[in-house]
Formats: sequence, structure tokens, C-alpha cells
Amino acid sequence: MFRDHVKLAIKNLRHRLSRSLLTLLGIAIGIMAIISLMALGEGMQQAVTGQLSSLSDVIIVSTGGNFLSSFGGGGGSTGQYFTQRDIAYVQRLQGVKDVSTQLAGAAMAEYNGKSTIVSLTGMDINVMRLQYATQNLEAGTFLNEGDQNKIMIGYGVAHSTFDSDVVVGDRIKLNGEKFFVSGIFGKQGMGGVSSDTVVLMSSRDFQKLTGQSNISLIYLRVYNVNDAESIATSIQNQINANHGKKDFATATTMTSILKTVQTVIGILQLVLVAIASIALVVASIGIMNTMLTSVMERTREIGIMKAIGATNTDIMSIFIIEGMLVSGIGGIIGILLGVFGSQGLTLILNSFMAMGVSSNLTPIITIMSVVLAVLVSLIVGVLSSLYPAWKAARMSPIEAVRYE
Amino acid sequence: MSTDVIVTQNLSKTYGRPPLQVHALRETNLSIKQGDYIAIIGPSGSGKSTLMNLLGCLDKPSTGKIFIDGKDVSTLNEKELARIRREKIGFIFQKYNLIPTLNALENVELSMGFAGVDAQTRTKKAKQLLELVELSKRLTHKPSEMSGGEQQRVAIARALANSPSIILADEPTGNVDSKSGDNIMCILEAVNARGETIIVVTHNMAIAQRAKRVLRIQDGVVQEGHV
Repeated sequence: MFRDHVKLAIKNLRHRLSRSLLTLLGIAIGIMAIISLMALGEGMQQAVTGQLSSLSDVIIVSTGGNFLSSFGGGGGSTGQYFTQRDIAYVQRLQGVKDVSTQLAGAAMAEYNGKSTIVSLTGMDINVMRLQYATQNLEAGTFLNEGDQNKIMIGYGVAHSTFDSDVVVGDRIKLNGEKFFVSGIFGKQGMGGVSSDTVVLMSSRDFQKLTGQSNISLIYLRVYNVNDAESIATSIQNQINANHGKKDFATATTMTSILKTVQTVIGILQLVLVAIASIALVVASIGIMNTMLTSVMERTREIGIMKAIGATNTDIMSIFIIEGMLVSGIGGIIGILLGVFGSQGLTLILNSFMAMGVSSNLTPIITIMSVVLAVLVSLIVGVLSSLYPAWKAARMSPIEAVRYE
Repeated sequence: MSTDVIVTQNLSKTYGRPPLQVHALRETNLSIKQGDYIAIIGPSGSGKSTLMNLLGCLDKPSTGKIFIDGKDVSTLNEKELARIRREKIGFIFQKYNLIPTLNALENVELSMGFAGVDAQTRTKKAKQLLELVELSKRLTHKPSEMSGGEQQRVAIARALANSPSIILADEPTGNVDSKSGDNIMCILEAVNARGETIIVVTHNMAIAQRAKRVLRIQDGVVQEGHV
């Protein structure tokens, strides 16, 4: 019985081949969008997780609010600085492997006859390389251990601070002393506070130049990743006690940053899928529309089938199977298109957006998303053919047979 | 001894509501015996089709009862009516009404499919029936590839598929030439000779004359008639 219904449904679909194919295409595009955007989100998730988890033994202590606001940004200065007493406490703490600091200050910069004040960041070179690992370089190279009088500058410093663009190899005067521009960061993407305005140099150069050592950030690594949370808590408590304020410092572990980032990407993923679902809703309206037309056209046929003994259930089942075939086949084609589509989308994203993290993005298609796509397309098929099928089944056989 | 295959009691059908009510069929009492061959004649709009639709369980009576093989069908629900249409009744329409997407064989098999007959038995029986109506060479032809007479013969084969006891034919020769029409009536008579009850609605007096019994309808009133 069921096989007969399927056979009838297939014959009906083939009889209106071009219309069936167009309807099917709608579903295919919807599913393709969902599959490829899910693959992209998953790829993003794993790329970020991979990069950040290599830093899982790192704790960053910043003054003021959450460290995230200064991550990759090189010191959103709060005007409050750590003292040597703070540093000494951190260095003495058990389980801490090494400690380095980031210094913040300002200097008068002069280039090509124009002078302006820029904010300076000084830090250990190896820490700098880790912290800015996810940042693209527009030109030049990172600083090396032992480099003197060399700086790296942000995109904004290079392109919109002075009258003319700064290029790698140029020299900028800071407080009258010449510094060699070794590298220029690329324009920063959407996330985080901008690294565009940063001027980076080694801690030694910083102290030599400014005579100050205003520590805005403490960067430390622990021996055991499992201790990171508890060490972070004790550092935060002690430094807050040192300064007599409850919220002087924030110690953040990479694990907690990882969680935050994963949550953010998870939300992004949901939003992407929700947008893609709109295509699917449109496609299901397409199915319903096509099927309603088909029911109208086949009024007579439905009447005949009823007259020769088809039950309402028979009629409904024929039409629902028809809808499921369209959306099921469309879904499978959509999954195949999605596999290719996600590759294409990644290529486009990688070439047009220097998003740092996404530059080595590969789409990942999970079995979950494929299963989900198949289920969703079948459900869409059933739901969108339910009303037309019900309409068909409800027809009175005599009126249907008389219908011209 | 022949039994009554169809009995109607005070069967009436009205359309609309007073005062615009139309009495398509009034207080009809009929008994039709197994193996009978009945022609129903009457002018257009007299209620012939209404009677056929009621006897064929395509429509429900306004008042009165219909018994088919002794069973009151006027109280049955949609599903049970479908079962009666499938098992007891074979319908033949003036306009053939084959399914355009199916070929001759598939059209004949269709009603057996609804009855749940397995594929093998179905194909075998459909081939036999198409042989009976002399269409063995047209098995894979679609309706659009056949003449009117051929299509009507496929429709007869389809009506016979589930071995119904009653064949209802609504102007079966109305859309075919006289030679094909004659051929169709010969087939129906052969079927009647096997014991099936045949009820034919017609305008054609020559066809009505061939029947064993004639019913004349005028303004919804059925009377025993003569040609």
C-alpha cells in the first residue's frame, strides 16, 4: 500500500518535472546554507579552541576590569599601575613558572615633521610574540629577543596618525630618540579593543626611554594547568588587598577566556543557523504553494481515486509522501552543496577578511549537522504538505469528478 | 433465486435550503435484483446523476435509506463508504476519467492497490481484464495515447478490477462514436451475462432498449418505464 503511494507520488512529481525541480532547489539552497554555516561555525570554534588551548598555562593580571578588553590590544591604560610589591608577591607564589610585565606610558612621537602623543607599551619580547600571536602583520616582522631601538606599530599609527604613511624600515622619533619600525600590524577585525593605536617595544627600551616602569599588565605562566584557577584567585585577592580596593586587579586564566570565546562563537553559530533557516522557511512555503496548485489541478484525479475506492488516508498519504520526496531529495542535494559551499565560503572569508583567527579556518561538517539537516528537511516536507494534503482529502468525490 | 442487491427506502436528495430548495430526487423506493440490467432514462436535470451518485456511495441522501447487499450505507462514515465503493461498486464515467499520468495497466491496477491486493495478483488480474476488453496491445499506453473508445474500455476494465457486484455506468457511450459505443455495450452485456448487476444512465434509446428493465426519471420522480 505504502509502496503504491510512493509510486503514485513519484509519477506525479515526474509529470511536473520542472516545477518539482524548482521546488526542490528551494529546499536544497536552504539546507545548503544551514550545512555550510554550521560547518563554518564549527571550524571557527575549533580554530579558536586550538589556538587558545596552547596558552592554557597562562594567567594575565590586569588593572581594572576584564582582561578581555585589553587582550591583543596592548594595554587599555586605566591610569592605575601595579607596584613592585605586587610583582614580588606573584614571583614568590608557589606553582608560578615565570612572570613578565607589560609597561604602559606615553611619548611624543615625530615623523616626517609632524608631532603627536602616542601611547607606548613595553613588554618582554617572548611575551609579546605570544600575546600578539593571533594578530596579522601587514608588513615587516616581529621583534626579536635582544633587539634595541626597534618598535612595532599598529595600523592606525602607520596610516592615520601622521601626515604620510609609515612603512617598515622608517624611523620614528620618540621623545627625540630614533626608533626603527620593524613591523606594522594589520587592520584589526571586529573583535576586541583595537591594536591599531599601539606602539610596542621591549621593556628595556621602554624604561630607558621614559625612565618609568608603570606596570599595567602582569603575564605569568604556571607549572600545572590545573592550578591556574586557584593561583589566579589568590593573586587577585592579594593584589586587591595590597591596594586596599576590591576591584583593583583582575586575574584571568586562558581557560576562562576560552570558555567566554566559545560561548560567543556558539551564539554566533546560532545566529548564522537562524538566518539560514529563513531560507528554509521560504522554501517550505514554496512547497506548500506548489502542492496547493497541484491539488487544484488534480481535483478531478482526486475525485476519481475516491470514486474507485481511495480513502481520505490514501489521498493524504500520497500528497504527504510527495512533499517528503521533494524536501528529502532537496535536503540530500543541499547537504552535498553545503559540503562544497562551505569550502567556497571559507575561501572567500579567508581572502577578504584578515580576521586573524579565521585566516586558517577550515570548515568542519559534523555528522550531527548532516543528521539534523535530513531531519529538518523531512519535517519541512511533512509540515508544508499537511495542509494541501488535508485539502485534497477533504474534497467531495462528486464535485471533484465534475470539476473541469 | 435472485436477491435484491440494491434497495432504496424513501430515498430523497435535496440541495440548498427553503425557499430555494431543489428536490433532485423524491421519495424513491427501488429494488434492484442481482444480475439485473437496468437503463435509467430521463431529460437533463431530471435527477439521473443524483440517483447514480447516491447508489454509488459518492453522495449521501438527505432522507431515506440505501441498502447495498443488505447493508444500510446511508449511515456509514467516509472510510466505510470508501470500502463499499472499492469492493461492491464499479464506476464508469462518461468522460472515462482515467488517471492521465498512469498507463492502461496501472490505471486498472490502481483500485486493486487501494484494496490492498498484492502487486503480482494485481498485474495478473489487470492483464486478464484488459484482454477481456481487447486491449492486450495497449497495456503501456497512457490515456492520451488512446482513442475515446479504447479509454472507455480501460475504464470498464478498471471498474471490474475488484469484482464488484454492481456496475454503474453514467452515459458510457456519450463521448464515443457509435461503433465504439456498440462495442462498449456488448462488453457490458457480457459482464451482465456473468451475473453482475449493470445500471446504465443513457440518452440513447437504442441502448435503453437493450436493457432488461427501464427506469424513467422526471423531476426527481422515478417510475418504471418503457422505451
